[in-house]
Amino acid sequence: MPVLEAHGLVKRYASTVAVAGVSLSVEPAERVALLGPNGAGKTTTLMMLLGVITPDDGWVEVCGHRLPNGRSQALAQVGFSAGYMPLAERLKVHEFLRTYGELYGLRETSGRIKESLDRFRIGHLADTMCTQLSSGQRTLVGMVKATLHEPRLLVLDEPTTSLDPEVAQRVRTGLQDLCREQGTALLITSHNMVEIERLCERVVFLSAGRVVADDEPGAIAARYGHQDLEETFLFLASQSGSEPAPQETDRMP
Amino acid sequence: MSWLRIRAVARRHFYVLKRSPHRLFDVTVWPLVDVLLFGSIGVFVSGGAGGGPAFAYLLGGIILWHVVYQSQIALSTGFLEETWSRNLLNLMVSPLTEAEYACGVALFGMMKLVMGVTLTALLALIAYAFNVLEAGLALVPIIAILLIVGWAIALFVIGVVFRFGSGAEALAWGILFAVMPLSGVFYPIDALPEVLRPISMALPTTHAFSALRAVLDGNALPWSEIGIAALSAAALSAGALVFVARMMALFRRRGYISRYS
Repeated sequence: MPVLEAHGLVKRYASTVAVAGVSLSVEPAERVALLGPNGAGKTTTLMMLLGVITPDDGWVEVCGHRLPNGRSQALAQVGFSAGYMPLAERLKVHEFLRTYGELYGLRETSGRIKESLDRFRIGHLADTMCTQLSSGQRTLVGMVKATLHEPRLLVLDEPTTSLDPEVAQRVRTGLQDLCREQGTALLITSHNMVEIERLCERVVFLSAGRVVADDEPGAIAARYGHQDLEETFLFLASQSGSEPAPQETDRMP
Repeated sequence: MSWLRIRAVARRHFYVLKRSPHRLFDVTVWPLVDVLLFGSIGVFVSGGAGGGPAFAYLLGGIILWHVVYQSQIALSTGFLEETWSRNLLNLMVSPLTEAEYACGVALFGMMKLVMGVTLTALLALIAYAFNVLEAGLALVPIIAILLIVGWAIALFVIGVVFRFGSGAEALAWGILFAVMPLSGVFYPIDALPEVLRPISMALPTTHAFSALRAVLDGNALPWSEIGIAALSAAALSAGALVFVARMMALFRRRGYISRYS
C-alpha cells in the first residue's frame, strides 16, 4: 500500500488555478522529488497533501487514512519540515523537540531527542534557545523535529535552501541514513538539482499546476535530450506557458 | 482526545510565560490596578467607610469580571502566540486536533485565571476588608458560567483572526470593553439606556452578575437567573464553536496559512 496517494488535486485562488489535477503516489521507502519553477504549485500541492489547505477537487490518503477525516491519524505518520519554517520562539531546542515529540505521540522523548540531534551532529544545541540558532541550525533542528517520531513519510519543502554546502551535505547524509535504516519514504521539493539527483530515485515535475513528467531523474533528462536534471529543469520551466493537458504524464511504466 | 498532546500544548505555553515575564502583566498588574480602582471608588461612594451595596457590587463585580477576562485573554492570546511566533504551520502539520489544542491552551489558561482571580480577591480582602468568599458556594455556578462565556468570546476572537489575520487581534483585548458595560457588572441593567437593555438581557454575563448582586445583598442564589445565564451561555458557546469551525474551514479552503509561513 502506498504511504501517500493523491488523486486529481485541484486548487484555485480566485481566477488563478494553482494546481490543476495533480495525482501522485509514493511507495514505502521511495524517495521522490517534486520539482518545478516558482509558481508551479509545489507548495500548494504539499499543503494539500498535509491537510493544511483543502483541495477544491480530488482526494488525499496518507498511510490509508483519507483526509480530512483521518487527518490526525494520517499526520501522526508524517514528518514535515521546510527551509522557511521558523521554530517556536522562547523555547530551548530540547523543549521545542519535547513538545513536538509529545504532539506526535512519543511518551519518552529524551533518548529519542539525543539520538536524533546526534544523527544531524547538533547534539551540542540541545540547551540553546531556538531564537539564538543560525538559519542553518534552525533548519537542522526542524529536520530533527520532522524525524523524531520515525515517520513513515517525510515531506520536506526546500529543506536546504539556507544551508552552506557542508551543512546541506550533512542533511542529505542524515536523510539517506534515515530512509535506509527506517524505510522512511521521502517527498521533497528543492531547486538544487544536484541534490535531487543524489537523493531521489524518482522525480515528479510540475508546471503550471500540472504533472508534466514523472520518472527517474536520468530517464527524464534523457527523454528531453539533456545531460542532467538542471538542463531539463531549465527546459521544462521555459515551457511553462504551454500548458499540457491534465494528467498527461510521461512516467514510464 | 490525547492527554499527552493536551499536556504538551499546555507545557509549551508555560515555557513561553516563563521566558516572557511581561506576559504576567495580565495576571498581576491589571487585577491589582482594577481592585485598587474599583475598591477606592467603592469606598468613596459609600461615604468613606466602605461597606454598603455599591461597595460590594463594585468589588464583587470586578473580582468576578476577572474570571471572564482571564479565561478569554488566556485562550485568545494563547492562539495569537502561535501566530506571533509563526508556529501555526508546525501545529497544523502535526496530529494535534483543534479540540486538543483548545483544551491545552484552556488548561494553561486556568492556571493564569487562578493566579489573577486569587490576587484580586486577596487584595480586596487586605486593602478593603472585602471577602468575596463570604458569598459561599453560590459563587460556583456563577464562576462556571463566567468561565464558559470567557472561553466562548475567545473562540469568537480566534475565528475572526482566522478570517481576517493578525490585524484583527486588537479584538482580543477590546471586545470585553464592549461586553463589560452591557453586562451590568457593577449595576443593575435598569441603569443602562433603555435602547441597550434588550442586548444586555441576551447576555449570559448580565444574569450571572445579577445573581451575584442578589447573593451579595444577602439573598439566596436566584436559580432562575442562573438558569437563564446557563442557557444563554450554552447558546453563545454553540454559536462560537460553529463560527470558529467555519472560519477554520475557510482558512484551509483559501490557503490563509501563507499569512503565517
